[in-house]
Amino acid sequence: MTEPQILLEGFLQALAAGLLVGAIYGLMCVGLAMIFGIMRVINFAQGDFMMLGMYVAFFILVGLGVNNLFGATIGPYVAILLAAPVLLLFGYLIHRLLISRVTGARTAGLEGEGHYAQLILTLGIALVLQNGSQVLFGSQLVSIRTPLSSAAWEIGPFWGDFVSVFINKGRGLAALFSVLAILGLWLVITRSRLGRSLRAAADNPEASTYMGIDVDRAYRTAFAIGTCITALAGGLLATNYPFHPFVGLEFVIIMYAGVVLGGMGSILGAFWGGMTIGLVQQLSTLVLPTQLQNTAIFVCFLLIVILRPQGFFGRVVERT
Amino acid sequence: MSKMTRRSFTQSIALSLPAFAGLGRTAAAQTPQKVQIGLLVPLSGIYARPGTVMRMGAEMGIADVNAGGGIKSLGGAQLELVVLDCGDTTEKAKNAAQRMVAEYPNLVAASGSYLSSFTLAVTEVTERASLPLLTLSYSDLITERGFRHVFQTSATAGAQAEMALPTILRLAETASGRRPRTVAIITDNTAASIASTKAMKERLLAQHGLEMVVDETFTPPLADATPLVQRLRARRPDLFFFLPTVISDAKLMLEKMAEFNLRIPTISFGIAIAEPDVLNTVNPRLLNGVMSAVANWGTKGQEELIERLRRTHGEPWMTQNAISTYGDIWILQGALEKAGRADRQGVSEALRTLDGGPARYFPGGEIRFDEKGRRVGAGLTIIQWQNGVPVTVFPDNLALARPAWPTT
Repeated sequence: MTEPQILLEGFLQALAAGLLVGAIYGLMCVGLAMIFGIMRVINFAQGDFMMLGMYVAFFILVGLGVNNLFGATIGPYVAILLAAPVLLLFGYLIHRLLISRVTGARTAGLEGEGHYAQLILTLGIALVLQNGSQVLFGSQLVSIRTPLSSAAWEIGPFWGDFVSVFINKGRGLAALFSVLAILGLWLVITRSRLGRSLRAAADNPEASTYMGIDVDRAYRTAFAIGTCITALAGGLLATNYPFHPFVGLEFVIIMYAGVVLGGMGSILGAFWGGMTIGLVQQLSTLVLPTQLQNTAIFVCFLLIVILRPQGFFGRVVERT
Repeated sequence: MSKMTRRSFTQSIALSLPAFAGLGRTAAAQTPQKVQIGLLVPLSGIYARPGTVMRMGAEMGIADVNAGGGIKSLGGAQLELVVLDCGDTTEKAKNAAQRMVAEYPNLVAASGSYLSSFTLAVTEVTERASLPLLTLSYSDLITERGFRHVFQTSATAGAQAEMALPTILRLAETASGRRPRTVAIITDNTAASIASTKAMKERLLAQHGLEMVVDETFTPPLADATPLVQRLRARRPDLFFFLPTVISDAKLMLEKMAEFNLRIPTISFGIAIAEPDVLNTVNPRLLNGVMSAVANWGTKGQEELIERLRRTHGEPWMTQNAISTYGDIWILQGALEKAGRADRQGVSEALRTLDGGPARYFPGGEIRFDEKGRRVGAGLTIIQWQNGVPVTVFPDNLALARPAWPTT
């Protein structure tokens, strides 16, 4: 290969990797956007909800025999889809039993609208989930194994016999599921009665109560959906990325950065925020040393926060 | 019977107290106190697994020493393991070390702390507390700082690279009929990996006539290995030196190489690529042929120990983490026997002057430390994934299988 061919292939490959990684980050960020961006609940346990999603999908796949029933290629995706409602219920219960005590009407008179209490509570939940998972599942690294994670679609060559782009099949499918999940959620939020009640409860809880909307229930539902979406992202990620009880810590900062980049309160903004992080992470390796990948993300984050504090899609844009 | 007055009763008690005190001393001499040894390893976070295996090795060592009669020069005193979690960052490791020296003043020595980065931080604390610490970590820096209470049982990273490179080149030449000319180095930025590659980049590659065509350093854990493997695809080196310390990075790299149809002989340093957990996440087919230079591994002559580890802890093979920590306990047993007293200064002095003869649980060399605290003559093992198991293939006298050069 000549130098221009190497440069072109490197760029195309990094772009493809950025889009695939970014799609998963985007889905994670959307889950957090439901909870943090819309409900303004600071949830430090979001990464650990993702970790639970990974483990639940893993145990459904291996423990319930989904792998034997559907095979190693389709089985993992069936297990991930089955794990989603489990985490939906988990999120619903966590909100009902714990989070509801530091959110909503109860916190109206509290300093910082209950954010301090939320911070402490969700950090506590995170610690319990991490250490409880280590006790229950052990410290061994596991992954949802699929032959697709080491197979690729080769597109090209574009320049003579060279310059091809490899699209990892596992990551490609995960990105496709992510986009479908976000489109589905967007339709629910914008077109359904449930979505309208969620948006109303988030915009103006008091007025929503006057309109007959059960605000607490709306918050609970949003929390459950946010948990479920992030868990789904975790399951999809686990087809390529090994996990352990502390894996959530590696992603929770990315989730917050994505939500803030996209614009607080915007579902689609959160997705694009996550996508931007994926693209910056992968494309930065073309011009910077690879070990500065994550530094590049936060330099980009700071620049966007300085130049456009409301993020890509401000709350106003989303709601009008 | 005369009636005992209050005064005579008090006098009797006062007179008998020394006798009771003497009795107490006799009882203490008959039942030797326990001697506490610390184990400071990661038991939470992404390095919890290797830390857990180190704990297994230490517990086996403690059990064997105690079953053999304990420390005879201390009246058969039994060893007691004090385990502390050093977490997954250098800050946590340093805090755990501070907690260890503050909360366990009776510790006579310790072993730890897996990653060189952790050991560098931990030894800053243990050195100030004069607590002798044995380590399996590789970084040359650990024993370059003039510390008196740090003892490195592994060959340093630089020394390992120096020993491994000619062996690997000879193997390649013999098996493929062609001497490799170009190499790629992709390493994470942990201390041991950096130390291993530093020696190669500065001297060894040039000495052996090798040209480095890819030189990449990444921060673990990787999110995706595409940009790194793309570099390999563009330059197609004859040899690929890959130095991860996190298993997930090994998985991402090997799977991405398979995805890009790259078959380059891959040589690692350290155990991340040969941990049993790797099989939970990577297809054994992708691992077959991958080699790693490791400071220690289960070798010929340790079959009984390997089998016992498998039976009692379910570990499929003996990694460096288990065997080196097991060996540490025996080194400390020797030092305690020599010191004849259970205090830090005594054990540290004994370790500095120890001459335990040829090493039994470490490859090559002796149970003796030089003025820097490095084990004299420390060698290394080269392991290779063969049929789903990483087996020792070098040195010949310790090998459990013959090496096979991966086909390109």
